[in-house]
Amino acid sequence: MQPLLQIQDLNLTVDGKPLVTDLSFSIAAGERLGLIGESGSGKSLTAMAATGLLPRAITATGAVTLGGQQVIGAPERVLNGLRGTVAAFVFQEPLTALDPLLRVAQQVAEPLRRRARRDGHELAGSALQREVLALLEQVALPQPERIARSYPNEISGGQRQRVAIAMALACQPQLLIADEPTTALDVTTQAEILKLLDGLVRERGMALLFISHDLPVVAEIVERVVVMQRGVAVETGPVREVFGAPQHDYTRALVVAAKAFDGALEGTA
Amino acid sequence: MSAVAATAPRARGSLTLWLGLLLVGLHIAVALLTLVWLPYDPAALTGGRLTPPSWEHWAGTDRLGRDFFTQIMIGSRIALIVGISAVAIGGLIGVTLGVLAAFATRLLDDALAATLDILIAFPTLLIAMLVVAASDTASLGTAVLALGIALSAIVARLTRILAKRVLLMDYITAARTSGTSWLGIVFQHVLPNIWPTLSVNFALQFGLAVIAEASLSYLGLGAPPPNASWGRLLQEAQGTVYTAPIGAIAPGIALVSLVIGVNLLADGLRDIGDPTRRGSR
Repeated sequence: MQPLLQIQDLNLTVDGKPLVTDLSFSIAAGERLGLIGESGSGKSLTAMAATGLLPRAITATGAVTLGGQQVIGAPERVLNGLRGTVAAFVFQEPLTALDPLLRVAQQVAEPLRRRARRDGHELAGSALQREVLALLEQVALPQPERIARSYPNEISGGQRQRVAIAMALACQPQLLIADEPTTALDVTTQAEILKLLDGLVRERGMALLFISHDLPVVAEIVERVVVMQRGVAVETGPVREVFGAPQHDYTRALVVAAKAFDGALEGTA
Repeated sequence: MSAVAATAPRARGSLTLWLGLLLVGLHIAVALLTLVWLPYDPAALTGGRLTPPSWEHWAGTDRLGRDFFTQIMIGSRIALIVGISAVAIGGLIGVTLGVLAAFATRLLDDALAATLDILIAFPTLLIAMLVVAASDTASLGTAVLALGIALSAIVARLTRILAKRVLLMDYITAARTSGTSWLGIVFQHVLPNIWPTLSVNFALQFGLAVIAEASLSYLGLGAPPPNASWGRLLQEAQGTVYTAPIGAIAPGIALVSLVIGVNLLADGLRDIGDPTRRGSR
């Protein structure tokens, strides 16, 4: 069976300057892959390229196949059909991920309605409201009725991220792309969101592309990792192998740094 | 709506709003009244020439003996029509161009931006005068169209910048990933989010349009007589400003009160309309 997302020799450049070089990896249906590396290593750009959302200034070459459709060079009309059914995004910054002028219920309702229309039926009125509340409950939001009526600035960062996840789920994607979804949150909220994502992805059999610079976070949620440094994939493999016996200097440095951090925490505890 | 907003009423905001409502409401009421009732026939010679204000003639009479207050009332109607139509024309053209530029390819965007900058470098009044001069007859319609076109450049530039900023937000990317078309993004996310700033700018444009129309009329390029534009009243009062200062003062007050009123109203409305500002400050 063809993988859900296949990236082959992806090169991204801006004004001739390379951002991502010869990147290749694939995600099968239901598989969970982590993309890790420091900021500026091209992780997010890769995710953008996967859904054809790259800024115009960036030139992409190579092959990106999402749900059997070549993404690079595809017209917007084709991509529009692809997005929302095949892949959905969860972003790093939960505040800018929600439109400040729309109540939570409206924001979640929109992708729900669009998804329903794609499946050939109209969703509106009280049926739509029920679906919205059901989704908010699935992402474990307390008092979903109250949250549904709130504006984004009236709820907390963790709650906003849960709403963003609900919006992504509303599309019923086969692949969920989470771009540093826990980076802007405090540690306890971070753990809760991770648990939620993990549960939802397993439950629905979705594939997950998890982007992070945080090693322990990645190790917790994915099966395979791609380690990126300056736009190049330096190491690929199952989580346990890569982190257990890192082959590349950069991966080794990452693992050592993470261990040193854990050690420091245990030392003071 | 929220507990925060309920416990922190904004005295300053509401005062702004009420004062704006009062001034604009007054002008609208007067303008509507002129459609059904006027104190005197605007063309009738009802008293002595250049009489000072009295109970019979609240703003005195002009040099032909016509009631001056009647003409100022009609001026309200003309000013409102001019302001609203000019902003509607300028807003429609400007917002469309601005949004297109924000979405366009880099080359097209640069070309549009440069064109707008050149247009803005010309004073609004000058562009309006050019348009009026290019048409055969001076009429209210030509003046309004000219002002609308002149204002559209300013609106377009503002829209372009505001829209570009909104387009950088993650919720736009999220909307695009969930398959929203670009028109959907414009109407659902971009326009609502730039509206608070844009509407305040529209109010400024309204004020500019009213003043510019008065200037055009003052120069004889606006509404021809018998339309009593405030600008024409001011121009007629020019020769008698020392003997009958009320002729210049009354239309001046009318003009300023409308412009200030609209600006206050816009300020107040913006604070109500934007949930992120509610209860803040």
